[in-house]
Amino acid sequence: MEIISEVLQLFLHPENFLAIALGVVIGVVVGSIPGLTATMAVALALPFTFSMEPIAAILLLVGIYKGGMYGGSITAILIRTPGSPASACTLLDGYPMAQQGHAKKALKMALYSSVIADFISNIALIFFAAYLAKIALNFGAPEFFWLICFSLTIIISLASGSMIKGLLAALLGILLSLVGLDEVFGSQRLTFGNYNLMDSISFIPLLIGLFAIPEIVEFYRKKALPHIKAKASGASVTLSEMKRSLKTIVRGSLIGVIIGAIPGTGATAAAFISYSDARRRSPRRDNFGKGEVEGVAASEAGNNGVAGATMIPLLSLGIPGDVITAIILGAFMVHGLTPGPLLFQENLPLIYALFMGIMFSSLVLLVVGNGAIKYFSLIADIPKEILFPIVLMFCVYGAYAVNNDTFDVWLMLGFGVLGYVFNRAAIPAAPFLIGFILGPMFEDNLRRSLLIGGNDLSIFVRGPIAWFFIALTLGSILLALYRYVTARRLPTQTDTSQEAP
Amino acid sequence: MMNFLKAASLAVCSGSLAMAASVSTVQADEWPTDDVRLVVPYAPGGTTDVLSRRVADLLQEELDANVVVENRPGAGSTVATGRLARGGRDVDHTILMASPGHTIGAAIYPDLAYDPVEDFVFLQNLIDIPNVMVVPADSPYDSVEEFVEAAKEQNMTFSHSGVGSSIHMSGELFKTLTETNMTAVPFAGSGAALPALLGGDVDVSFENMPTVLSHIKSGDLKALAVTSAERSEHLPDVPTLREGGDYNLDQFVTTAWFGLIAHESFPQEAQDAMREALDAVMQREEFQNFAEQLGAEPGQVAGEEFKQFIASEVERWQEVADQAGISQ
Amino acid sequence: MSTPVHKRGGPIRDPGDVLAGVVLLIASAILLFHLIPNYIGEPPILQNPMMSPRWLPRIVGWLLLGFSALLIVQGLLVDNTDKEDGRRIEKGPRRRFALMVVALLVYVTLFEALGAVISGILATLILFVAHPVRTWWVYGLAIVFPVVVTFLFVKVMNVPLPVMPF
Repeated sequence: MEIISEVLQLFLHPENFLAIALGVVIGVVVGSIPGLTATMAVALALPFTFSMEPIAAILLLVGIYKGGMYGGSITAILIRTPGSPASACTLLDGYPMAQQGHAKKALKMALYSSVIADFISNIALIFFAAYLAKIALNFGAPEFFWLICFSLTIIISLASGSMIKGLLAALLGILLSLVGLDEVFGSQRLTFGNYNLMDSISFIPLLIGLFAIPEIVEFYRKKALPHIKAKASGASVTLSEMKRSLKTIVRGSLIGVIIGAIPGTGATAAAFISYSDARRRSPRRDNFGKGEVEGVAASEAGNNGVAGATMIPLLSLGIPGDVITAIILGAFMVHGLTPGPLLFQENLPLIYALFMGIMFSSLVLLVVGNGAIKYFSLIADIPKEILFPIVLMFCVYGAYAVNNDTFDVWLMLGFGVLGYVFNRAAIPAAPFLIGFILGPMFEDNLRRSLLIGGNDLSIFVRGPIAWFFIALTLGSILLALYRYVTARRLPTQTDTSQEAP
Repeated sequence: MMNFLKAASLAVCSGSLAMAASVSTVQADEWPTDDVRLVVPYAPGGTTDVLSRRVADLLQEELDANVVVENRPGAGSTVATGRLARGGRDVDHTILMASPGHTIGAAIYPDLAYDPVEDFVFLQNLIDIPNVMVVPADSPYDSVEEFVEAAKEQNMTFSHSGVGSSIHMSGELFKTLTETNMTAVPFAGSGAALPALLGGDVDVSFENMPTVLSHIKSGDLKALAVTSAERSEHLPDVPTLREGGDYNLDQFVTTAWFGLIAHESFPQEAQDAMREALDAVMQREEFQNFAEQLGAEPGQVAGEEFKQFIASEVERWQEVADQAGISQ
Repeated sequence: MSTPVHKRGGPIRDPGDVLAGVVLLIASAILLFHLIPNYIGEPPILQNPMMSPRWLPRIVGWLLLGFSALLIVQGLLVDNTDKEDGRRIEKGPRRRFALMVVALLVYVTLFEALGAVISGILATLILFVAHPVRTWWVYGLAIVFPVVVTFLFVKVMNVPLPVMPF
């Protein structure tokens, strides 16, 4: 009983509520601006938290994190510019929906599935942190390797249209991701002596270039069409759509929770895994990528499911799973708190007060998100000839902001051209992105396993987690093959899908 | 047209007004005559960034001028450092937060366009963070001697947070000095490296103190030694590596140091002003608490001494990198 | 199926795919035989061929080569040009496209020299003219937005954009 009153005493401070609200608002706004990521906002807010109470300080940062996760989807849906990497998957269906005049529906679905996923993720954090942390600790390099192999198989399901083109795109993505200094030996790979390439190709210019720029280029390549005033508002999400997507959202959230609990995988991968899973199961499979509301739900559930769960390794093990949680870890330490098992023993009321704040932040996200949609959906009303030049300006400034260097602006334009060529040649961009994200993880974990195991290959089958992911990988490939054989659309390709790396 | 002009002039005015407002705190004749730029050669959120922002806050008060933090990440700090070395118009108001990346980068990146020692003036070493030699809790080794003896017989693995990090180089240095068999296992950052150590996938690591302090205290990791010259007050029972004195380890003193540097042409007047302000900053309670929370010790060297320290570091890491085959 | 114009013009069923395949085939050949040997360093001692920095690039290169060959074969045999995959667009006037390219060039070449505000204004104006936008007050936006956004980036978000050329 005593602890409850202590927790409430810690939590029921106006400062805490203000911190959460402010954090979520900042997160949504910053997250929605291309090039400015939640990571940056959290880093910039950190010095301001030094003088705050520890709980308020951490809740402010958590609020920004969660707001940013959702905020990225707004511009992804409205202008095909993912505000943050994790929302790249949302635009696959979100942008087509906006073009068909369903911007509001897409935005609302993104919000609802974000909030639900966030909620589920928080529940997992509060009740299952100890179990999930144990899984995370048993997740070594070989297990990781198989998880990545399984994730790579989703390329097969994402390659809409031509399987060959999808695989080609993925291979190109892997290839470009290898540019930079070698992880193990520090030798240069395809950097051509350019210092800007040594930290590998920056992700944000790539993202903006690949998706936003081709849209702008295409607009000016095409004949000017009179602006059709789309009812930006459009209809909201109907109850039947919500019902239809609910299972997907729950599944996506669970995928997000598991991925989030494992340090180092990230929200982007979770979104794509959830999306491809939803697509595999949905009866409306063929509509995915053309404006399917379930697709938006799946990817947003996947990436927001990660947010709460990344706090699991942070709080229970003191291990930050991504850059943002690393900064939050810094905030803990500045206030003289060290996350880890000791924190639970020594400072339980504080942990519970934090949990309450994190739960509350889901609610705030719902309210703030609803308000944001009201104003942001007006963007869909702006004629493209006015909107696009301004979007381009944001893209250029945002790309520059990543490293404060014009090189990234060049990079963004380069990828813009590549994205445009992809569009013209009907090569899908999503597999390219997956390849780019997963390529280095694949190689690193393969080599890491070999180093740890002293070149003994038996390390790859060392335990149940590895077996589980081997089974999943094989199952996923076999399922794809089976679908191919039964569909028999293009018989020439059946033997090729097996070679996918 | 009227409206258009009005809008334009309004916009321009508001912009310039805001800029004027931001420089109003600066006084005329004495240095600084402009905003001071503090360049952080890493992305926002890391130790270097957090430290820089804290120092910028305090420095702002001591200098009575704006101190603007700028992140210019890239190629392990060498991009930003190279940019500073090239000079430029506001070079007399630019300072940079250097860290082990400065000296290690010089050793492992090919054809650097600058000299890490001669192209800069070295203002003040602000803090030193020791590294800790840690093994998993269930590791059979309880001391450095036991570990080294075992490592002479069998191959050991050590985790690190990326090629060229102080954690990596410490491991390579240890391997070189003790003439043992050790394999470096790279991870993307300390966050990713920690589970492998906690789970026992790797045998040892030379992690930064703040990263592993809580795990040492909770008993999940065993600390065999600290790498600083003196014992750390956070871990008073843990010996330093050079205490044993065996296996050439008396030469093993490394810390993750952080300090401010500027371009070689940084005016003397500015150097004096900075030196004075930094002394004051380091005396401040806020700074000392901050350092304490990071598990850091206040920096020891400044000026010419700092420069000599850098010169010897560059030389040492060059040797280690050559031995380990990581300089390309 | 309105106007099947240039179809069945010869043995090539899908010229676009064949072209894409040929380009990728050449690119992967360059990668395999020129870039990988010359621009990826290999350490002298390797315990395992899979540890080599060249291992994955080489595999990716060979797979690229194989799949681009397959794409060429597919382009020769199967006609995909009917599919709704967004490959066909109705082209607009050249001037419109050319001005857009100019605007992009303004950004990349003049961003550092002229600063964010001026290059932003310039490029935005060019893009408005390219369309062309005929509502005159919109041109005011081309000045307001770069100024306001630059201000936000520099002062609020602490991003050091090059503000002005002086």
